[in-house]
Amino acid sequence: MKRSWYATPYALWMLLFAVVPLLFVCWYAFTTPEGTFTLANFQEFIKPRYMGVILRSLKLALYCTALCLVIGYPTAWFLAGRGFNHAQSLVVLILLPMWMNLLLRTYAMMTLLDDNGVLNAALQALGLGKLKIIGTEGAVLMGLVYNYLPFMVLPIYTVLKKMDYSVIEAAEDLGCNPLRVMTRVVIPMSVPGIVSGVTMVFMPAVTSFAISTLLSNGKLRLAGDLIDYIFNQSSNPNRWNIGSSFSLMMLVLILISIGFLRKVDPDSEGGGMW
Amino acid sequence: MIQDMRLIELKGVCKQFGDTEVLHDVDLYIRKCEFITLLGPSGCGKTTLLRIIGGFEMPSSGEVLFEGKDMTGIPPYKRRINTVFQKYALFNHLNVFDNIAFGLNLKTPEQLGVHTKKEKKDEIERRVTRMLKLVKMEGYEKRSTNALSGGQQQRIAIARALVNEPEVLLLDFIYVTHDQEEALTMSDTIAVMNGGRIQQIGDPKGIYDEPKNAFVADFIGESNIIPGVMLEDDLVRFSDTDFQCVDEGFEKNEPVDVVIRPEDIMLVGEDVGMLTGVVESVIFKGVHYEMMIVSGQFKWKVQSTTMQPAGTRVGMTIVPYNIHIMHRTDMDHVPYNTCVPTDDPQEEAKP
Repeated sequence: MKRSWYATPYALWMLLFAVVPLLFVCWYAFTTPEGTFTLANFQEFIKPRYMGVILRSLKLALYCTALCLVIGYPTAWFLAGRGFNHAQSLVVLILLPMWMNLLLRTYAMMTLLDDNGVLNAALQALGLGKLKIIGTEGAVLMGLVYNYLPFMVLPIYTVLKKMDYSVIEAAEDLGCNPLRVMTRVVIPMSVPGIVSGVTMVFMPAVTSFAISTLLSNGKLRLAGDLIDYIFNQSSNPNRWNIGSSFSLMMLVLILISIGFLRKVDPDSEGGGMW
Repeated sequence: MIQDMRLIELKGVCKQFGDTEVLHDVDLYIRKCEFITLLGPSGCGKTTLLRIIGGFEMPSSGEVLFEGKDMTGIPPYKRRINTVFQKYALFNHLNVFDNIAFGLNLKTPEQLGVHTKKEKKDEIERRVTRMLKLVKMEGYEKRSTNALSGGQQQRIAIARALVNEPEVLLLDFIYVTHDQEEALTMSDTIAVMNGGRIQQIGDPKGIYDEPKNAFVADFIGESNIIPGVMLEDDLVRFSDTDFQCVDEGFEKNEPVDVVIRPEDIMLVGEDVGMLTGVVESVIFKGVHYEMMIVSGQFKWKVQSTTMQPAGTRVGMTIVPYNIHIMHRTDMDHVPYNTCVPTDDPQEEAKP
């Protein structure tokens, strides 16, 4: 039996649940409910009320990725350090939230940030007054960062952990002070991990679904919520067609960002997840 | 030419990692333009010693001086020393040119003897090109370091260190046994290390001809090491035979280690030899034959340009000045040329 045959179950699965549905999406996106060809569905995309959601999605996903990188890189650097013996247990701690359901985590976040939640109770106890967090973009951002941070830490940690320590010593030997060791050697050498982390955070963040609805009391929608909303608009006869065209547009956006990241890390050294 | 000035001096340097003592009371100096080689089995402390000089490890006690000034605590990037690491540690995110230019790029134009950024760039290009020529790697500028063979990587690592014109170049290389000849040929000074101590330091000829103890004799070149007893000045007894030698100052009946190089044993007729034995095996080694000769309880390694076939009975003579007498070392295991391994050959050799 040829080796490629072993992938048959996966191929069938993909065909049934990814390729065929995708073909359906394409069909719906380019047709009217009556089945005639049209590009009108895509015109919906540029309507201000929809465009605003898309732009907000992109903005929040970018902020989220940047925050995850700023928080995650130093964490990964610390965990990958030679002198640190408890790295494994801390990595598990970072992974721990990922073992829980995303909705559950987000509900937990809600109770923490709620007007009468844990955080505000603590603030009041300290005599600092309440903070209105739920319903703001800040709350959504916090939710996104909280959910996707491990996806940034892990690939960077893996790359840093694999890095030969003598490379750092070689940089010092050749005249790098500790700051230059970071900027000239460690960070450039960990680019594959950064690319992988950025991809793994940005993509789910830009298409994230439910997090923002929950943390904004339904006030702030992101692209994922928008598609969900359109598909559920029972009064709209075009809902499947417009929803499909939006899904397709998101797919193209993601493909463009993959293409961009491929340029930075052509060999997919950071684990090659995408 | 070696100059008298001491560039680097180590005084009583000790290094412990936890409970393990890796270096014990090392005294060593390196003069300007001196080529010094540290030799020793793996784990003897060579790399740690280099790392202390390079600034990557701190001595637990003792001093490291650079041109007479204490440099303990000065980080590697402030030392005018460059290292070629054992695993080369090339930067795989940079191409060959940028690897070599790495140290120079960190310098200001003034430090390179020029004024503008443009001139710095030209100067770096000039120096890197010269280095590539020196290590015979012209044309490899744009190559990725991953695409180089081990030997090429080593040459780039050397070029990357040398281009900075350091006062001291540290090379953390593995010298396997057959490379020893190279170390003996190239070095001005050789320091033989074992168990975190310098066993002997001196010029290559001195180390080879007058090893200080059985360890050095065994490690440098090939040797026969036999337990013996110093009967009196210039007279030693080993293998149940008395031999004239040229060593004095030992105590009467002091147990000693006797070292004889394989090329210093002459094969003669069975009836005229000081020792007699049977040729056990013969190996052709190019310039000479190497024979293992069993005589009494010892097995002698003898190198000669004439071959005696296995099974032949032969006589062996050794001239007095080729017999090297050494005080017993505190080594756990002296590699005596005993035929049958005994539990404690030193015990047996006692009179």
